[in-house]
Amino acid sequence: MRRVAIVGYAQTQHQFDMQKTREDMVFEVVKEALSHAGITRGEVDTVVTASTDFLDGRTISSVFLSMAVGAYLKDESKTEEDGTSAAWYAFMRILSGVHDVALVEAHTQGSTFNPHQVSFYTLDPLFDRQIGVLNDVSAAAIQARMYMSSYGVSEEEIAMVSVKNLSNAAKNPFAQRRMPDLTVEEVLGSKLYYHPIRELMMSPISDGACALVLASEEKAKEITDTPVWIEGVGVCQDFYLRDRNLLELDSLRKAAKDAYEMAGIRDPYAELDVFEVSEKFAHEELMIYEALGLCRRGKGKVLLERGATEKGGEIPVNPSGGALAADPVCATGLVRMVEAAKQIRGEAGEYQIPGVRRALAHGQFGMCAQKNWVFILGGEG
Amino acid sequence: MLHLEREGIVRVKGLPFVARFKWSTGFLMERFIKSLAEKKLLGAKCPSCGYTYVPPRSRCGKCLTKLGEKNLVELSGRGVLVGYTTAYVGLDGEGNFVDLEKPRVIGAIKLEGADSTIFMPIGEIDPEGVREGMEVEPKWREATRGELADIEYFKPSR
Ligand SMILES: [Zn+2]
Repeated sequence: MRRVAIVGYAQTQHQFDMQKTREDMVFEVVKEALSHAGITRGEVDTVVTASTDFLDGRTISSVFLSMAVGAYLKDESKTEEDGTSAAWYAFMRILSGVHDVALVEAHTQGSTFNPHQVSFYTLDPLFDRQIGVLNDVSAAAIQARMYMSSYGVSEEEIAMVSVKNLSNAAKNPFAQRRMPDLTVEEVLGSKLYYHPIRELMMSPISDGACALVLASEEKAKEITDTPVWIEGVGVCQDFYLRDRNLLELDSLRKAAKDAYEMAGIRDPYAELDVFEVSEKFAHEELMIYEALGLCRRGKGKVLLERGATEKGGEIPVNPSGGALAADPVCATGLVRMVEAAKQIRGEAGEYQIPGVRRALAHGQFGMCAQKNWVFILGGEG
Repeated sequence: MLHLEREGIVRVKGLPFVARFKWSTGFLMERFIKSLAEKKLLGAKCPSCGYTYVPPRSRCGKCLTKLGEKNLVELSGRGVLVGYTTAYVGLDGEGNFVDLEKPRVIGAIKLEGADSTIFMPIGEIDPEGVREGMEVEPKWREATRGELADIEYFKPSR
């Protein structure tokens, strides 16, 4: 099989209202990713973007973005959902042997329209929308309570995830929430939405975009001395909310298993140096530890309490601050890939984890993390 | 953070447009909705794997078997609360979270004889008194008409 590498990337400074048109935001991030790779628009063979009509407020949400991503008179397509889906698609296009260089771009301007309201429109129109009690936050709250009562997890323990990630984000210039001195008490004192979910336990509404450049092995070696290889990928989706077990992230567990198998990883705890995951709600990060096979079911809080997932721990998770620090919805998983690649190349500045050789990046979409993408990235060779 | 109205916003027409969609419910869902008039809750039991859907589905998502009228089963209506949350806010349909005057309970319910979980409002209960494992039943509106609104909410049994 061909090998494919990440050879360049860029992200915006994520913020609630960036006072910029969607087209300018995307143009600038793409231009920056190409210059980070040191290539020109002409060298790109195929362009894959990710955005969602409901979030962009436009049918065919890529409309008027062909210019911004430099795709006029080029092979171009758009995927829905998280940007990791676009990266996965672009990866396969290069594997096909038809293309050598792919540009991947994903974005959302959450200030356009509340993404939580949009989540309501992902429900079954014939029943759940009519009943009217569910949205991504209320569904996450039901899941969080089930998880808490099944495994004896407290609100304080969930708040500790927010404290870890938002204080990590203090060193990340691209993050929206940078809170170096945040305490558990402050998290538990923030506005209550659906018990136990409070404002600082859910991701913020962000405007932002992210782009990365992928290349085949030969091209990657021409472009850079430090390619970041895609060693494994796994994608999986769960049943609709009514017919799945909310206590588990089964589809993430399966996606991770496939990615580990492809990358030849037997013991993720020992073999991976850093994790960048899309925890849209604080409790999800604990469930993600379990689904990634870093601990047994219900033991996520033990990893957190032991400090294993802190920046200085054995398995740092979200040194960038994760999705709790910025959530430009469709870009969020792609940002995780960029952050993981930065760690491998030693470009993470003040939140650099020393000696990273292999990293995991995770993207998700849908209520209670219904669909998941897992990438294993590696340096050297 | 969620306050989307700002000074200097110029409103334009056509975004978002209003589209009136006409979705087909399918025969089984139509039966489900019409049976509510008789205060009956129907599920669809898969003849191959036994999984029981509520509301009914016309194809089993677990084993892909086609489900028909003969697979409809009448449920007792009683169920168990397997999860819940107390809502302090609600979405107004236009992108704003609005504070509720009184907190409301939202329940995840497994109905007797069903495998699906349904998410329903829970009434006649103090949010402090909700417990997982509680038995619940539908509160029907007085004059049922064969509409989803025939179920006002679920309430603790007895
Ligand atoms: Zn079946």
